[in-house]
Amino acid sequence: MAEKLLEVKNLKQYFNIGKPKEVRAVDDISFDIYKGETLGLVGESGCGKSTTGRSLIRLYNATGGEVLYNGVNVHGKKSRSELKTFNQKMQMIFQDPYASLNPRMKVSDIIAEGIDIHGLAKSSKERTEKVHRLLETVGLNREHANRYPHEFSGGQRQRIGIARALAVEPEFIIADEPISALDVSIQAQVVNLLKKLQKERGLTYLFIAHDLSMVKYISDRIGVMYFGKLVELAPAEDLYRNPMHPYTQSLLSAIPLPDPEYERTRTRKTYHPEDHQYAEGEDVKMREISPGHFVLCSEKEFEQYNTNYNHL
Amino acid sequence: MKKILEVKDLHISFHTFAGEVQAIRGVDFDLYEGETLAIVGESGSGKSVTTKSIMRLLPEGNSEIKSGEILFNGENLATASEKKMQKIRGKDISMIFQDPMTSLNPTMTIGKQIMEPLRKHRNLNKSEATKRAIKLLDLVGIPKPETRLKQYPHQFSGGMRQRVVIAIALACAPKVLIADEPTTALDVTIQGQILDLMKELQKKIETSIIFITHDLGVVANVADRVAVMYGGKIVEVGTVDEIFYNPQHPYTWGLISSMPSLDTQDEELYVIPGTPPDLLHPPKGDAFAPRNEYAMKIDREEQPPMFKVSDTHYAATWLLHPNAPKVEPPLVVQERQAKFHASLKGGK
Ligand SMILES: Nc1ncnc2c1ncn2[C@@H]1O[C@H](COP(=O)(O)OP(=O)(O)OP(=O)(O)O)[C@@H](O)[C@H]1O
Ligand SMILES: Nc1ncnc2c1ncn2[C@@H]1O[C@H](COP(=O)(O)OP(=O)(O)OP(=O)(O)O)[C@@H](O)[C@H]1O
Ligand code: SF4
Ligand SMILES: [Mg+2]
Ligand SMILES: [Mg+2]
Repeated sequence: MAEKLLEVKNLKQYFNIGKPKEVRAVDDISFDIYKGETLGLVGESGCGKSTTGRSLIRLYNATGGEVLYNGVNVHGKKSRSELKTFNQKMQMIFQDPYASLNPRMKVSDIIAEGIDIHGLAKSSKERTEKVHRLLETVGLNREHANRYPHEFSGGQRQRIGIARALAVEPEFIIADEPISALDVSIQAQVVNLLKKLQKERGLTYLFIAHDLSMVKYISDRIGVMYFGKLVELAPAEDLYRNPMHPYTQSLLSAIPLPDPEYERTRTRKTYHPEDHQYAEGEDVKMREISPGHFVLCSEKEFEQYNTNYNHL
Repeated sequence: MKKILEVKDLHISFHTFAGEVQAIRGVDFDLYEGETLAIVGESGSGKSVTTKSIMRLLPEGNSEIKSGEILFNGENLATASEKKMQKIRGKDISMIFQDPMTSLNPTMTIGKQIMEPLRKHRNLNKSEATKRAIKLLDLVGIPKPETRLKQYPHQFSGGMRQRVVIAIALACAPKVLIADEPTTALDVTIQGQILDLMKELQKKIETSIIFITHDLGVVANVADRVAVMYGGKIVEVGTVDEIFYNPQHPYTWGLISSMPSLDTQDEELYVIPGTPPDLLHPPKGDAFAPRNEYAMKIDREEQPPMFKVSDTHYAATWLLHPNAPKVEPPLVVQERQAKFHASLKGGK
C-alpha cells in the first residue's frame, strides 16, 4: 500500500458559528491522500470543496478534526521556519485567477515571489531563466513576463497562477478548478503538464474540478461531496462504472457531451436528499462496498447498494 | 429570421507599453432573434473583448475601437454616446461576466445588487423590487432567498455567486444576453439546470443569447450556431451540427481532438502544437499557419477569406480553396464527418 501523505480526520469547518447564518461548509469529513496520487474532488457548487482545500493548507483554522501532513498536525503550533518549509511544500492554485493575482505586480514578480522568499534562485539571471521556463511550461511566452495581470485574458491569468504555484517546487498541490477557464487545448496542455510533473517529481495532487471527463482522466481516486459531506469515495474507474450514491448518479447523468444529437435528447437524474428518509438516530456513515469504494449510507441503504453493485 | 445585432468588420486595439495589441482583427457576425450563438476558441483570441465592446465596456484609456460597426436596432453602438449606452446596458443588452467576483460589489448586499437594475430601468418600488428579487433568486436555484438577500458576496460560494449574477442579468428581461462563461464555475447538475433555465427564459422573453464557453459539451447543449475564434478573428461559423459533425478549419479540428472522452485512459491528451500568435506583431498570413500541420505556402503570405461550405457554414482556411490539395483531417474528426454524411444521406 502506498504511503499516506495527508490524513484528514473528521475535519469540520464552520463559519459564523453560533449566529443564525451559521454555515457548516465542511461537516465532518475524513479521507487520506497517498504519496504520488491524484485525488479528484467533485460535487455541487457550494458543497465545501474550496473550503476543504483552504483548510488543508491552513488558510482557515479548522473548527474541528485534524489534518496530518506526513504525520504532522497541520493546524498545530509551528515555529517560523517550520511554517516556511510547510508553505513551500504545499501550494494552492486558486479558483479565482482575478482575485488571487496582485494587480500592481508584474507577472515576472508574481511568479518569482515564492522563488525569492524561499531563496530558490542563486542569481537574478537564474531567477529570470526560471520565470521564463515557467511561463513556457504553462503555454505563455517570455514577452509576457513584463506585463501586468489586467493585460491578460481569463485563461492567461489562470496560467500565471499555475506558474506561480510550480515556481517553489512544491510536493503537494491543491488545484482548485485550475483549468476550467482555459480553452480545451490548453486544458490538455496543463493536464499533460501536471501528469508529467507528477511522474518526474512524484507530486501529489488534490484536484478540484467540475469537468468530470477531465477529473476522471487525471484522478486515481475521486471523492464526491454534497453539502459539506463526503458522500462517496472510490477509485476513478469504479466510481464511473458503479456510482452508488444517488447524488453521484445525478452528477454523472448530467455530464454534457460534445455531441449535439445526444444533447437534444439527454435526460438528467435529479437528486432529492429527502428520499433517504433516515430515521432518528440511524447510523449514517461511510461504508465500504468494494475495496477502496466508500459510500455514505445507512445500514439499510448499504444492503440495497450491495445488491445493485455490479461486481465484475 | 430577423437580425437583432450585426457586427461588421470590427477592429479593436489596446495601447500598452509594449505597443499596440491588435486584439480584434476584423470580426463579422450576425445575431438573430431568439437564437443562441456560441463563441468558442483559443484563450486570448478575443471572445471577451468582442462582446465587451458590444456593451462598450472596454477599459477606458487604453482600448480603441479602430473601425467597424455594431448595429443594434438600427443604431451603431460602436459610436454611441455613453448616455445612450447607459439606457441600453442592463435593459436591452445585459451581460454575465466571466468572473463573478468582480462583477458583484463586495460591499453591497446581494439583494441590493439585484434590485438596482429593477429600480433603475423598471421603476419598481422597494417592496416590488424585493419580491421580484426573491423570485429571481428562487428561479436560479438559491435556497432560502429571503435570508440570502441580506448577505454579501463573500458569503456565497463561487457557483452561488454566479447564479446571483445570472439573476441580475435576467432581471430586466433583456433582448440580448451576453453570457461569458456563465456556467464554468458550476457543477454539472446545476449547470444543467441553468442551461435549461436560460433556454426556457429565452423562449419566454425571446432573448437572443451570445454564449461564450470553453466547454464543447455545453455548446452542443445550448447553441443553435457556433462561431470559432482564433487570433482576433472568427475562423469558422456554422450551425451546431455543422461545427461538431463537419468542421472544416484545422483549428476547429484541433479543438475537437483535444477533449478527453470518458473512455480516454492513460495516453497523453492531444495538444495543438506551438503558441498563440503575438498580437503585438500579428502575422502577415494566416495566424494559425505556424501551428498547423496542414499549412501551405500561401498560408504564410496571405490571410484566407471566408470560404462558403453551405448557406450557414463558412470557414477561413485556404484548404477550402478549389485548388488546394485534399487533406485528411484527424481521425476523430473523420469519424464525426462520416456520421454527418451518413445522416445527410439518410435525409435528415
Ligand atoms: N468566508 C466565508 N464566510 C461564510 N461562509 C462561507 C465562507 N466561505 C465559504 N462559505 C460558505 O461555505 C459553503 C462552501 O463554500 P465553498 O467555496 O467551499 O464551496 P465549493 O464547493 O468550492 O463551491 P464552488 O464549486 O461553487 O466553488 C458555501 O455555502 C459558502 O457560502
Ligand atoms: N486591458 C488590456 N490591455 C492589453 N491587452 C488586453 C487587455 N484586455 C485584453 N487584452 C488582450 O486582448 C486579447 C483578447 O482578450 P480576451 O479577454 O478577449 O480573450 P478571450 O478570448 O476572452 O480569452 P479567455 O478564453 O481566456 O477568456 C488577449 O490577447 C489579451 O491579452
Ligand atoms: S488557411 Fe492555411 S494555415 Fe490557416 S488554417 Fe487553413 S490551411 Fe491552416
Ligand atoms: Mg470552490
Ligand atoms: Mg474571456
